[in-house]
Amino acid sequence: MENKSYYFKNKIVCITGSTRDVGKNLVEYFIREGAIVIGISRTLDKLSLENYYSIQGDISNAEDMKNAFAEIKNKFGTLHFLINNAGVSHSSQALFLTIEKASSMININFLGAFIVSKEAAKLMMKNKFGRIINIGSICSTVEPIGASIYSATKAAIHSLSNSLAKEFASFNITSNTIALSPFPTDMLNTISQKDIDWYLNEQKIKRLATIDDITNVVEFLCSEKSAFITAQFIQLGGIST
Amino acid sequence: MNISTKVLQLMLEAFNELKSQNQAIEINKYDDNLILFGSGATIDSLTLVSLIVDLESKISEEFSCEISLTDDRAMTREVSPFDTFGSLKIYIEELVSEIK
Repeated sequence: MENKSYYFKNKIVCITGSTRDVGKNLVEYFIREGAIVIGISRTLDKLSLENYYSIQGDISNAEDMKNAFAEIKNKFGTLHFLINNAGVSHSSQALFLTIEKASSMININFLGAFIVSKEAAKLMMKNKFGRIINIGSICSTVEPIGASIYSATKAAIHSLSNSLAKEFASFNITSNTIALSPFPTDMLNTISQKDIDWYLNEQKIKRLATIDDITNVVEFLCSEKSAFITAQFIQLGGIST
Repeated sequence: MNISTKVLQLMLEAFNELKSQNQAIEINKYDDNLILFGSGATIDSLTLVSLIVDLESKISEEFSCEISLTDDRAMTREVSPFDTFGSLKIYIEELVSEIK
């Protein structure tokens, strides 16, 4: 592995859904490693760190993202890494899931990732370098009851990532998916222990993920050493089935 | 040199660079009817994307202005700017003229 501090020093990273949970942890990780981080979130970001820049916007709104990336281009000139992390989850059995909530998940989890990737790729293509990391979920594989649309959006992210990998390969841009297993977040606090145990039982390694489990893979996928790794789906903790 | 001549020169440069990188591209004559996209296209869609990215950079350098060839405006036009060499040239000229 490269000297991390040197490798990430002044590299430009964009992370969506940066205000909480995994996104916030990733922001702090990249800042520690010397990167310049741009966080995009719907809510006003109160995080105050050196080399951290916050852009408020809705990733499912093409105009918002066009403006956001124009700002990134004007301020930083380029973009090295994109972490498509933003997502929402409404847990409900299909019969009780409103169309409004289903649409919200599709728009933010899937369409948003597409819109952001498209804008990011325009910056990356000009420099013939880029890494796109899509945050997927164990749900796309284990398809739990009560998460039909959420699981489908995460499966769609995986498929999108693979297609982008093909389209962007000649520009030295890779696109990969990291499927997260349960990780201590605000979202996890709303799930019963019984349900958490169900997820753990589906994993080969039966414990909650840690932020290091996630950043280790993110770090590798951002590195020069992963230049030949694209269109991959990495399931943290493995799947038993 | 006027905008039209300069755009043509940049397009020829971009095409020739692409040809030198990819021997499979067989273009012997550049005229307005050269098909770039869709049925009968002389280049594939991935090559077209490369061409557009290169052209955006060249135009940005030459005219000191930023243009996006792939925004919604291009995609919603009745005649796609990417159909032919001629339609692309006209579209670039139009964008550059607006900014200059």
